[in-house]
Amino acid sequence: MDKSLHLDSVIKTHQITKEEQLLNKHKDKNKEVKEALEQKYESNIYSPFNSGSYAKNTAMNTKFDFDMVCPFKRNAFGSNGTLKQMYEDVFDFLYEKYKDDANVRKQKVSIGIEFFADEDGDIVKIDVVPGRELNQDQYKDDENLNLYVYYKYGNFDQGSERIKTNVQAQIKNIKDRATKEKDSIRKVIRLLKVWKNTKYNNPAKSFFLELITIKAFDNKDVSGNLWGKLETVLQYIRDEVTGESFTLKDPGNGSNDLIDTLTTTERQTLSDDMKNMLERIEDNDENIKTYFPENSKFLEEEESDNKYENKGNGFYSNPPKNERFG
Amino acid sequence: MYRINELGLTLEIEDDLLCSLIDIGIKHYPNEFGGFLIGNYSETQTHLIITNTILPNKFKGTPYLFERDTIGIDDKLKQFYAEEPKKYYLGEWHTHPNNLPIPSSTDINAINSIANHPEVSIKNPLMLIIGYDKPKVELGFYVQFKNKLYRYE
Ligand SMILES: [Zn+2]
Repeated sequence: MDKSLHLDSVIKTHQITKEEQLLNKHKDKNKEVKEALEQKYESNIYSPFNSGSYAKNTAMNTKFDFDMVCPFKRNAFGSNGTLKQMYEDVFDFLYEKYKDDANVRKQKVSIGIEFFADEDGDIVKIDVVPGRELNQDQYKDDENLNLYVYYKYGNFDQGSERIKTNVQAQIKNIKDRATKEKDSIRKVIRLLKVWKNTKYNNPAKSFFLELITIKAFDNKDVSGNLWGKLETVLQYIRDEVTGESFTLKDPGNGSNDLIDTLTTTERQTLSDDMKNMLERIEDNDENIKTYFPENSKFLEEEESDNKYENKGNGFYSNPPKNERFG
Repeated sequence: MYRINELGLTLEIEDDLLCSLIDIGIKHYPNEFGGFLIGNYSETQTHLIITNTILPNKFKGTPYLFERDTIGIDDKLKQFYAEEPKKYYLGEWHTHPNNLPIPSSTDINAINSIANHPEVSIKNPLMLIIGYDKPKVELGFYVQFKNKLYRYE
């Protein structure tokens, strides 16, 4: 059995359901925002549409960003209305409506609604792009829109910026690395999260597993195929996590040491888990499937596509009279 | 259980049967030998189980060649088909003395010819190669699927 091949499949099968789940949450929110805008602006707006969606992979999670274009009629904000008025009006509306559920921010040409993380830790973000047709009723013909470009100046919105920087610092830690290594780190982190979910009430937080993986990459020569890399990280956790002086600093907040999220007993259990896992996989490759299972839901869906088939008259065959093998 | 991840198809072979195939192969060493694979499909047709073998009455075996004839196997095929659940011809097995279980070009021609034969109803014939690569015995399970040969892991 090829352990690395199995691990790749583990990542793939878990990844896809995860993305599907997030995409569905996204579609729900998207619908909600679209309907709210249509209700508010009634005949002054054409139907908002999604201009594109793209998945951003961070080490932490996958984020989908949707751009929702809102085409307004030329006179929606009065015949002398400005693009700035349009932008501000949409911002005020969205801010009032979503301020308790999301961060609503002014962005360059859009208004970003980033909903607070739900119980799964998933974040849905929708960028609403208000645009205005060039002349009354012309949009139907040319689909052209004028956008308002928002420039930030002074200390405007500084508060929310500061919070953002903090979150960014966490992600930046990984982003700064060479792409190839980043990819390996991300894969190992995903696998550890799969393992985490195989254990009931695992005390190790996802963020803890992320940071310890990065630290392992910093301190060890993590190389070889995917299994080789994972093995090195598991060994690192086994050997280091119980150390008296072992720390795990949150890059977004230096005074926050993640090792404090585990008790001494939990640290010992974590180390023992790693030791056990490594020994069982050493005994028999197949045991890797116990700790790092593929997502069976997805595998079953895959399986239903291909079948052993017959040519239309049942399976009963007479083999050819003479056959030769080499 | 053996699986082709790419296709989502699986197979299973009963342990006793597999051991006896390996033993039969050793008896003919250093010549190649083989036979017919019998078994059935799961209701979903994504999984198959090899339960029996039929050995050829007429065959020729050398260290690099195995040629079998179907003479006299008809009754056995019908007997298996009369069982509940019905058992079918699933494909063929043969040995590679002193070699890995990698299909030769002759093997690939054979599996193509089987898949395309008018009296063969199954679209996806199996091929099991037992390689006696000293001191190990290695197995190669293959299936023909849409004109390509896939190996189970
Ligand atoms: Zn052969």
